[in-house]
Amino acid sequence: MELSCKHCHAAFETEVKFCSQCGTAVGKMTTTTKIKNVNTIIGFYIAMLVFIVLVYYVELTFPFNLEADILVEIGFACIVVGFASLNLKPLLKLYSFDNVNLKLIGFSIITPIITSFFVYFFIEFVNYLFSAGDVANYYESYLYLDHPLFWAILFTAITPPIIEELAFRGVLFNQLKQVTTDKLTIVATAFLFALIHFSVLSFLWIFPFGLLLGYLRSRYNTLWLGMIIHFLHNLIVLMLDYYNFYSF
Amino acid sequence: MEAPKIITSALECNNCDSVIREEDSFCEECGYPIKGTEQDVAKFYAKRVMNKRKNNNAAEKIKSARNTLYVIAGIVLVFGLFLYFQDSDVGALLINVIVGFIYVILGSWSNRKPLVALLLGLLLYLTVIVISAIADPLTLVAGIIWKVLIIVFLAKGIYSASSITKSA
Repeated sequence: MELSCKHCHAAFETEVKFCSQCGTAVGKMTTTTKIKNVNTIIGFYIAMLVFIVLVYYVELTFPFNLEADILVEIGFACIVVGFASLNLKPLLKLYSFDNVNLKLIGFSIITPIITSFFVYFFIEFVNYLFSAGDVANYYESYLYLDHPLFWAILFTAITPPIIEELAFRGVLFNQLKQVTTDKLTIVATAFLFALIHFSVLSFLWIFPFGLLLGYLRSRYNTLWLGMIIHFLHNLIVLMLDYYNFYSF
Repeated sequence: MEAPKIITSALECNNCDSVIREEDSFCEECGYPIKGTEQDVAKFYAKRVMNKRKNNNAAEKIKSARNTLYVIAGIVLVFGLFLYFQDSDVGALLINVIVGFIYVILGSWSNRKPLVALLLGLLLYLTVIVISAIADPLTLVAGIIWKVLIIVFLAKGIYSASSITKSA
């Protein structure tokens, strides 16, 4: 925290609650900025919710349509980038490689191997337990295209990590950090990240997964680690689906 | 005997007794206008009373938002039990119990961290509405007055939580 008054620019020797020269409260965010931040968070989340409803009806009206799929991805990216542009500077800093070293990259490669296998077989087991029906095969839904594997990888392993990491660990994380503490921000972004996946069962594993990604984002101030983990996790789950599809 | 007493009183804030320096115009601890006129001092106290009243008012709104979360939890649990006894639907019961449990956790969490807990509660509620609307668009209109009321109560709690000075 800067030790000077924002109102009259007098310098303080220690952390104080009020400026000794002009009497302005120091350090605390004014109520209006806080409410503005809360409004942005709610607005961003509602925008994503409405978009998901829209996607649902688009897929219903244009099933097996590549153009519709691509437009949906672009639409989601536009919403996220739109909200990101409200406060762009701190977000761009998250794309620097300053804090990334080989050890962390190694960690980000090994972790998703463990999580993806765990999640894949855990979900299958839980579904079997409650006989909740078949889980959608990520690969199968792209079979209508000429190169299903390419599109499946693009739509499940490449674009989601890039956009979702920016949305949750970037935009939402930065907004929440301004109204609350770092710890609560990690918990809240993980909660919302799990919530937007629309599945109670997935909540059980996406929430801890989101906690890990949020912690890495908070500790190392970079989105790259989250993107690597998210990418490899989705890729391995997709590959297991691919393998399962051709072996049965 | 008189002289040192005056010096000590000059170096202490009239309002909160914290140590102040001679060149300060305001107390660094409570914002008391040390060199201000009588009018400034009156303004200072009036502002404090107003802040206190605002905080009390906010605390009440946060409390009703918390109770709203508990009410939703109760409704979700009862609905889950209803589905279970009607069609012995274990999956629906389990989902309702988990969701109800999350509402209860958020409700009790709002004692300590009102802003974040109520914010997550509101967004969870909106998500559930959207999921039900996707499954059956008619659920959107069912009990719409209650839905609006719940959202208003939660939103009031959130804005009150962001207006109080305590960090949330």
